[in-house]
Amino acid sequence: MKRKDFLKSSVLVSSGLLWNIQKSAATLAKASTNPIIPPSLKQGDMIGITSPAGYITRQDILPASKLMYEWGYTVRAGYTIDKRYFTFGGTDEERLQDFQTMLDDPAIKAIMCARGGYGAVRIIDKIDWTKFKKHPKWIIGFSDITVLHSHIHQNLGIATIHSKMCNSFPSDWVLASDLQKNTILSINNALKGFGSIYNFEVNTANRVGVAKGVLVGGNLKTIESLAASTSDINTDGKILLVEDTGEYMYSIDRMFWNLKRSGKLDKLKGLVIGGFKVKPDDPNDYFGKTLEDVVLEKVKEYNYPVCFNFPVGHQIDNYAVKLGVVHELTVHNAGGNLKEL
Amino acid sequence: MAIKIPKYLKKGDTIGIVCPSGYMAYEKAQECIRVLQEDWGFKVKIGKTLGSNSETYFSGTDEERLQDVQSMLDDDGVDALLFGRGGYGMSHIIDLIDFKKFKRKPKWIVGFSDITLFHLHVLRTLKIATLHAPMAAAFNNEGYKNEYVLSLKAALKGRKAKYKAATHLLNRQGETTAAITGGNLALVVHSMGTASEVETNNKILFLEDIGEQKYSIDRMMMQLKRSGKLKNLKGLIIGKFTDIADTDRPFGADLYTTIFDLVKEYNYPVCFDFPISHDAENYAIKMGVAYKFSVQKNKVALTEI
Repeated sequence: MKRKDFLKSSVLVSSGLLWNIQKSAATLAKASTNPIIPPSLKQGDMIGITSPAGYITRQDILPASKLMYEWGYTVRAGYTIDKRYFTFGGTDEERLQDFQTMLDDPAIKAIMCARGGYGAVRIIDKIDWTKFKKHPKWIIGFSDITVLHSHIHQNLGIATIHSKMCNSFPSDWVLASDLQKNTILSINNALKGFGSIYNFEVNTANRVGVAKGVLVGGNLKTIESLAASTSDINTDGKILLVEDTGEYMYSIDRMFWNLKRSGKLDKLKGLVIGGFKVKPDDPNDYFGKTLEDVVLEKVKEYNYPVCFNFPVGHQIDNYAVKLGVVHELTVHNAGGNLKEL
Repeated sequence: MAIKIPKYLKKGDTIGIVCPSGYMAYEKAQECIRVLQEDWGFKVKIGKTLGSNSETYFSGTDEERLQDVQSMLDDDGVDALLFGRGGYGMSHIIDLIDFKKFKRKPKWIVGFSDITLFHLHVLRTLKIATLHAPMAAAFNNEGYKNEYVLSLKAALKGRKAKYKAATHLLNRQGETTAAITGGNLALVVHSMGTASEVETNNKILFLEDIGEQKYSIDRMMMQLKRSGKLKNLKGLIIGKFTDIADTDRPFGADLYTTIFDLVKEYNYPVCFDFPISHDAENYAIKMGVAYKFSVQKNKVALTEI
């Protein structure tokens, strides 16, 4: 899709979410906190698709590869696509090998993880980052891929793209909702180096304020599971984004306690709560607190802005954001936005 | 620093019962109270959080639970503290507990599951031994007659434990003597990066869990490994993982095999299916205390030194 068309369609359907296409301010960001921004993609560049975690079929990545061709890229599916070792997209060795090959191949300009699931943590310590460090490229994904985001941010300072993956591309583009289309198109915008602004609706639990900082985070459970490891993120002076799915409220509460007790909430610049698909309580074990209660209770003694229902998570409105890049979070009484700087 | 061992109990001593986490109806602890008094010869002091009028998941507000734990810890008339049940909620109050008096006059703290966090915190910050053991509900349905609940009684009275367990094909043979730590896997990893973080160097580590997905257990084990918690162990005791679930696409060949693979590169003894669990099989373990752990071809033994 051409950029002009995209602009038109997104303006038409912005349902509370507004896209603002602007030139990436990578140089500005660099000056303030020095994140390393991989080069933007150009026509003809190659995107590699691999499965560092869960298993996926070749059929299931077709909609993604077709669309990325339409965007003007070429696509190479790694050999873990269609591979299966129980729940994984191949054995640890196979997944490592495939990811490593794509990381080291200079012809591949971005790597889209085919899906999450579970398994990135099983290979993360064996990845050789030497070439990637010299020639950074965009790593794309979310959920279990939070392992890669956190590890890369903490150890290499290279920005990554938190977004939908191959398994979320609509099988029929024409029939897809505008919301779904826009979230998919937001990946291409990120790859092309356009900055983003995402609006969010008002929530009476939001805490107003304006904050500027590097955006970090991802899947809450995954972030907790990295605590005390070499991939553990330092959140000081940053904006933290979290989302999760399929967890009980008590478990979400416990995860926030881990964030708090491990010092990840006290020096934040801002907190962005994405989508949370909460598992219903067992009838005899009613937890009795909302997500808003759970979060605000942990951050009541701090002053930074907090927003809920940000359009990132295991849901249709899951837009691409660049982790490791400076953002400005604005929360006001009528809503707010997160703007890439 | 040497570990401090609280005073063992004698007839007529008082055990306090409070619920620091989830709600527990009084009737569910009735049998335990009866046995503690009539059969074991102790007095029992009930805290406000057992059979409370709380209508939430918790046995009371954070303040109420904190208050109840605090007053039992500080009460000179209470010689040991038995947590009624786990559930969830210790994380809310652990940093608010004042351990000053407890530090001077330690007493046995009994529980498991969510209580793991309390054990790990006390072990790390105060170097005082605690009791990972069955709680009030384990006494019900004649449970008080089984060897696991009786192992709690023996532990409280200062008898040294001698536990035996069945062998398992994946066990790695060896023998070691070291202090023991561990508990509920989810809570052990929950402590990571916090002031309560589990310390495993030169220790025997035991783990159990309930109701987790296999992949989630693997992820937690990976966290332990990646944070260096499995490297310098003296021994590893895998208790039972009860009610485990699996993903639609099966996680892997066998949970124990994947756990064994994670510690393949080390040499310490490892045993599987040890009777520590959320089921009835749950031997009392004195956290921080030294045990001889022996894994042989035909037998597994854990013997308190």
